[in-house]
Amino acid sequence: MPSACSLIPPVNPTVIVRDLTKVFYDDSRGELRAVDGINFDCRPGEIFGLLGANGAGKTTTLRMLATILKPTAGRATVMGHDLATAPEAVRRSLGFSSATTALYPRLTARETLDFFARINGCPAERVSARVEELIDRFGIGAYADVRVDRLSQGMKQKVAIARTVAHDPPVLIFDEPTVGLDVLNALDMQKLIAAFRDEGKTILFSTHIMSEAQKLCDRIAIIHQGRIHACDTLASLRAATGLYYLEDIFVHYVEQSRSQAGESPASTSCA
Amino acid sequence: MVLRDRRLLLTSVVLPILVMPLMFLGSNWSLKKREAKLQSLACRYAVQGPEAEWVRDLMSRTRERLAAEPKGTNTAPFEFEEVACTNALAALEQGEIHVILEGGKTPAGAAGPAGEPAGPAAASRKPELRPRSNSAPAPLPRSLRLVFMGNHDESVTCAHRLQEALEATRRAERVALLLERGLPAPPDKIAAFSLVDVATPGQVAGVNLGRVLTLLLVLFMLTGGAVVALDSLAGEKERGTLETLLTTGATRLEIVVAKHLLIITVALGITLAQVANLLVYVGLKLVPVPGSLAAAVTPATGALLLVLLLPVAALASGILLLASGRARTYKEAQFYFFPLFLLGLVPAVAPLLPGLPLRSAVAIVPVANIAMGVREVLIGSFDWPMLALAWVTTAAAAAWTTRGVLGYLSAERLITSSERDEIEFLGGLPLFRRRVWAWFAVLWAVLLVVSSYLEKADLRLQLLVNLVGVFFLGSLLMLRTYRLDPRQALALRQPRPAVWLGVLFAVPGGMLAAIGAFHLLNFVIPVPPQVLEGFQQNVLPQDIPFVQLLFFLSVLPAFFEEIAFRGLLLHGLVGRFRPVTVAVLVGVVFGLFHLALFRFAPTACLGVMLAAVTLLTGSIYPAMLWHFLSNLGGVLAARFDIPLAHLDAGGYLAGAGILCAAFWILWRNRTPYPGLNAWRDTRPRASQTCNE
Repeated sequence: MPSACSLIPPVNPTVIVRDLTKVFYDDSRGELRAVDGINFDCRPGEIFGLLGANGAGKTTTLRMLATILKPTAGRATVMGHDLATAPEAVRRSLGFSSATTALYPRLTARETLDFFARINGCPAERVSARVEELIDRFGIGAYADVRVDRLSQGMKQKVAIARTVAHDPPVLIFDEPTVGLDVLNALDMQKLIAAFRDEGKTILFSTHIMSEAQKLCDRIAIIHQGRIHACDTLASLRAATGLYYLEDIFVHYVEQSRSQAGESPASTSCA
Repeated sequence: MVLRDRRLLLTSVVLPILVMPLMFLGSNWSLKKREAKLQSLACRYAVQGPEAEWVRDLMSRTRERLAAEPKGTNTAPFEFEEVACTNALAALEQGEIHVILEGGKTPAGAAGPAGEPAGPAAASRKPELRPRSNSAPAPLPRSLRLVFMGNHDESVTCAHRLQEALEATRRAERVALLLERGLPAPPDKIAAFSLVDVATPGQVAGVNLGRVLTLLLVLFMLTGGAVVALDSLAGEKERGTLETLLTTGATRLEIVVAKHLLIITVALGITLAQVANLLVYVGLKLVPVPGSLAAAVTPATGALLLVLLLPVAALASGILLLASGRARTYKEAQFYFFPLFLLGLVPAVAPLLPGLPLRSAVAIVPVANIAMGVREVLIGSFDWPMLALAWVTTAAAAAWTTRGVLGYLSAERLITSSERDEIEFLGGLPLFRRRVWAWFAVLWAVLLVVSSYLEKADLRLQLLVNLVGVFFLGSLLMLRTYRLDPRQALALRQPRPAVWLGVLFAVPGGMLAAIGAFHLLNFVIPVPPQVLEGFQQNVLPQDIPFVQLLFFLSVLPAFFEEIAFRGLLLHGLVGRFRPVTVAVLVGVVFGLFHLALFRFAPTACLGVMLAAVTLLTGSIYPAMLWHFLSNLGGVLAARFDIPLAHLDAGGYLAGAGILCAAFWILWRNRTPYPGLNAWRDTRPRASQTCNE
């Protein structure tokens, strides 16, 4: 039976991660390996999900890919640009949306989009047209000229997503994008992410919500204590474990990793 | 965006504009009212004591004198009346009277403030001068005490006015008596002296403005800039927008420069608003300004001042950004602000210190040097080399703070809860290497403060405090804090025997090269001969035995300075820079620690050579011997008037030749400092970071 991964068109990966490791040091916790030698690739038109509990290393991985954290070891490229040697090129190639909306409260939605399009290198003559396009696409015209601090959480989330794609990057990183949203807004968000995938963008997506991962992700990496313990399509994971629900599959791998903890199992490669 | 923050506009611009005129008007009104009240005050006094009648007589003469004066000559006309009291002190305390006049007799030589010579005729209306009999005992002089309550305005005012009036009466009577006895003119017209100020009004106004201009700028920059600076990193960190900003295509440097520009723009905007506000008060005559101020600030001077003050604005902005970057939250940043504000004002008050010239160690103290430069420019003295040095030093400090902010933007503690990076966590030599500059900056500041306190102290005490108290204790602290191995950190290794021969050759050559460097620098920054003579007298005082001089000036520096500079400083820099850069940096820092500009070139030159020999031999001992012999040669040359400083070019060239030969010997017998080429290995690793 062919591997589920082989069903994905054999195009060049846009994100390549090899032996990526991050160690934190502090007085209370000592040396902490937040990410421990992980490997994976992502391709255009794919939603790649990092599924893990809180503190598993999802956010740290995404932050390293966004170049705001420096890897302790290993390397990664985004659109062929190395994290270490071309961080600005990496950042221009991606849009990053953190768990919080993180918007400037005194800017309007329109000014926010204008600012982020410009700062990410969008040509000045195209900025206005791009901002209008985003306002139409995300349906934020009614409140485009209202200060962000006066918007509801759902409105802010839409502005935050629009800001993430303001410069039309080929790679999008969403770190737990539906945290704090109600069901309807979360559904809107999922639709938007799926639409970006359909446009051919590469999407890295972290979540601890099983249903969301099950619904959205083309491939899922189960990450626990900084290591990837499984990485494949949902169908392949089901076939490999004999379990149907993603929640059960996740628990299976976490339990397996705990039982192997004394043997220091190597991370699963998802490349 | 800033203009949308109503609280900011209200607290930084609108409130001061509204409150300041109210303050001025209010204080003027209350001052005038108080003055008017005191002017119309009728002073009530009581007279007591054994000489009460004499006091009443004196008061009566004073009243007559004041009444006889033409109107307008008395600057503070007032009425006074005697009140009869049984208990004058109680009446004074209860405010029934303002002053008690107590007439008595004071033993000779202990006359009171209003005392006067006593004599038999003193009780008469006109006192007379009588020759004192040699055989008769000197009579006790009369005295008058004015008793008042220092915590009552009216009592204080009455006491001072009465004292002035009584003294004026006594003066007038003395003058009248002297004229009556044949003095040709009033005493104050005989051998009179007067003050003549030859400075132009513009210069006088300039020196006054120069004393406070930088202080005002720093004050406005820190208070105005703080509003946005504290929010721009700490606030963004708290809101989470910093993470978003750091994932954009902008480089860290672009982000920092943009934040600098924002802070400077807002701070200058607020400063301009306040200045415009001040001009309104000047227009309303609420604030007096010297009429010659315009003469002090011509357009050309104004442009020069603007250029001079630019790095001060950048430095103030950088310091605020550092505080903001260091803080985890906006609230924490506010805690940092007040101490920074006070510290920022300290160097800006340098022009208020009397007799402190720009051509001194202050030229390399950021902000203080610009403040001094501004004062000198405003009084018309354009010492271009020193102004350039001051500008470069403060600009370098501003660049250093910008680099610090860049470091904060690259620090992971901005984003994660992790407090430290690997180097901070593990400590030891890597952490020492990171912090070696900060240690030596602190040592330099301590040395500056200690030296200024001990300037007049005995030379031996000065040297002991500097060498042992600052350099040695500082070195021990560094060794202990970073758990450094003393043998490695201080390069306690035995060099090859031929190295000693090389050092013996190097000493005379090095001395001549150092003196040559001094002469070269003297072309750019000439040193007045009296400064050199004064320095020689201070360093070689005649009252210290020669053997002690040799010990304090040759042995101790060779030991303690080498431990600090060619030991720890060099150890902290090796592996981070190319060997030549390490030698130059160590030399420059060594020169700066000598706290006098004219000593910088020779000491820095010697420092470079000592660092070079340490790097070549991997040992501190040759540098110690070289330093000892070099200082010994200097002391002997000064003591026995050997004219080392007055050789011709050929002499210095010969010295350079000997030095080259010495370094050839050292090179041939080199045993390089361990880890000397580690900078080659660290270079690629550094470029692999995510940080710009």
